[in-house]
Amino acid sequence: MAKALLIDITKCIGCQSCAGACKEAHGQPGDPEPKLSETALTVVQEKNGKFVRTQCMHCESPACASACLVGAIKKTALGPVVYDKSKCVGCRYCMMACPHSIPRYEWSKLAPYMKKCDMCYEKRVSQGKPTACAEACPVQATIFGDREEILREARKRVVNDPTYVPRIYGEREFGGASMFFISDVEFEKLGFVTPGSEEPLPEVSKAALDEAPMVVLVGGTMLAGLYWITNRRKEVLLAQAQKKTLKFPIIDEEKRS
Amino acid sequence: MKKTIPVWRVILIAIFVAGAYATYLRFVKGWAAATNLSDAQPWGMWVGVATLCGVGLSAGGFATAAAVYLLGMERYRPIVRPAILIAYLGYLSVCVGYVYELGLPWLAWHAFIYYNPHSVLFDVCFCILAYTTVLTIEFSPAIVEKLPWKGFRDGYMHWHHRLATAVVLAGVLLSSMHQSFLGGLFLIFKGKIYPLWYTPHLTTMFYLSAIPAGLAMVIIALYLCNRSLDAKVDPAIIKEVAWVISPLLVLNLVWRMVDLVKHGGGPYLFLWRPETAYFWLEIALFIAIPVVMFNHRWIMNRPEGAYWTSAVVIAGFITNRVNVSINSLERATHANYVPKWPEMAVTVMLIACAVLAFRYAVIYLDIVPKKVVAKTKSWLANAGVAANA
Repeated sequence: MAKALLIDITKCIGCQSCAGACKEAHGQPGDPEPKLSETALTVVQEKNGKFVRTQCMHCESPACASACLVGAIKKTALGPVVYDKSKCVGCRYCMMACPHSIPRYEWSKLAPYMKKCDMCYEKRVSQGKPTACAEACPVQATIFGDREEILREARKRVVNDPTYVPRIYGEREFGGASMFFISDVEFEKLGFVTPGSEEPLPEVSKAALDEAPMVVLVGGTMLAGLYWITNRRKEVLLAQAQKKTLKFPIIDEEKRS
Repeated sequence: MKKTIPVWRVILIAIFVAGAYATYLRFVKGWAAATNLSDAQPWGMWVGVATLCGVGLSAGGFATAAAVYLLGMERYRPIVRPAILIAYLGYLSVCVGYVYELGLPWLAWHAFIYYNPHSVLFDVCFCILAYTTVLTIEFSPAIVEKLPWKGFRDGYMHWHHRLATAVVLAGVLLSSMHQSFLGGLFLIFKGKIYPLWYTPHLTTMFYLSAIPAGLAMVIIALYLCNRSLDAKVDPAIIKEVAWVISPLLVLNLVWRMVDLVKHGGGPYLFLWRPETAYFWLEIALFIAIPVVMFNHRWIMNRPEGAYWTSAVVIAGFITNRVNVSINSLERATHANYVPKWPEMAVTVMLIACAVLAFRYAVIYLDIVPKKVVAKTKSWLANAGVAANA
């Protein structure tokens, strides 16, 4: 059963409990940080008078996973998009591809890896426990549950309360996600990226990749055909040349001079 | 002549010292000391210039090989070897450049055991390595023919000659694939890329622009061989290659503009923004100025005319690739990236290595014609090679 998180921006009090719990769960020392970094996989930032959490959206069809050269990033059946650092070669295409610009890199290390929220996949979610951030939230601004149920709850809140913006961010953006946001302020004002279309990004590059076999086939055949024609022409020319030589033997110009 | 060489030696030594120190910074001191890359700007000059331009400017190799081997334009056979050598050195420097660019370069072989077929980068990687192999085969006779073992030499040449067409055909297909897929890399950044550079046909844009740029590179190399290395490449051939570039550039312009307007970039053409300036700079350097120069009799009748015009084409080409890979993204990612000096030093060192290797190859191997060949009778010109075969 796929899991998801709902973050209700109207309820968040900016206490940073989630960011602290995240650090603890991932064994990262220090206090919550103001910006996403390789040691802060989720942050709470104040934007337009609201407290907004930022972390990986765990897209339904993740651009990072489709971009990854070595397939180190995978969307799991449970929902989390996870990263297998043992495969990574450090090309950083995932960071470029992410429409939310979430992945961070350990720039300070000589053997750097990518860092992003893993939705507590290994230690918690895969064992049926909620994420550390959801568990730590004192006001239930972040709640964890089955994707369908969480989405139903989000819809209920948005429909029943007219102060909410009638939109669940993460339901359809970039083909949907496992992290939903509801808010009483326009999402654009809170720094959320609004895509031009709902088409998942991997589809865009897939369309280009799918053309390749056809192009190779048609191009290869055409080139081979052209070669055949030019080769044939050469043979004909050669035959004609031989005929001519029999009639008028060539005098080598270098020898003559 | 005697005066200029020491100056260039000093410059070369400076380049290599700086490059070596930059290498030390990158692999010992780390990313922050060597680059200005950041989470907002994870790809910088090493991708934008070292990779995109390194591969793009090597396009002359497959274009001339296709013209001679597949289309039978025997007249251009003397420039196939230099073109292939340029491509070969270009690809080798891209491969070396990736050692700097990857975070974990010693694990690069993962790309082939954990390959992800949905990744455009994987396709690029695969094609680049396959094509580098093809180039090794295409270039190998230049070295093999200098080996002292006659039996091996003859056997190798025999088989090489029989397989040459197939190898060239594979090379053309592989090149066409990854030249366009280098543009395909940027498709998934849809929404982040400024509309003047985003089109679903970025693949076509990269392919169409690489060919004239690659040919311009060939012209530059041939001219320099003639000027400084005692080569005797027929200036008429250089001029003819220049004649081909100009319509290709016009094709680029027409395609670009139609595509831009079709995909909603039209309104952005004249906005008062830095991107607008980058865009027009690119169009001016890559297309407008060279097309005028290529069609200007006074310029083209001078021996260095095609050379300088090609230099402008290459400057425009580099502007295009930097625009697509860096400048087009900065508005969306709020990055303000300027490469740090070690990034530039490494790039310049790679270029210097390639130029040096090219120079010594031309001196010690038979890359370009070094004496004037007597003209064959015109009706035999095309049959000559067939007669040899």
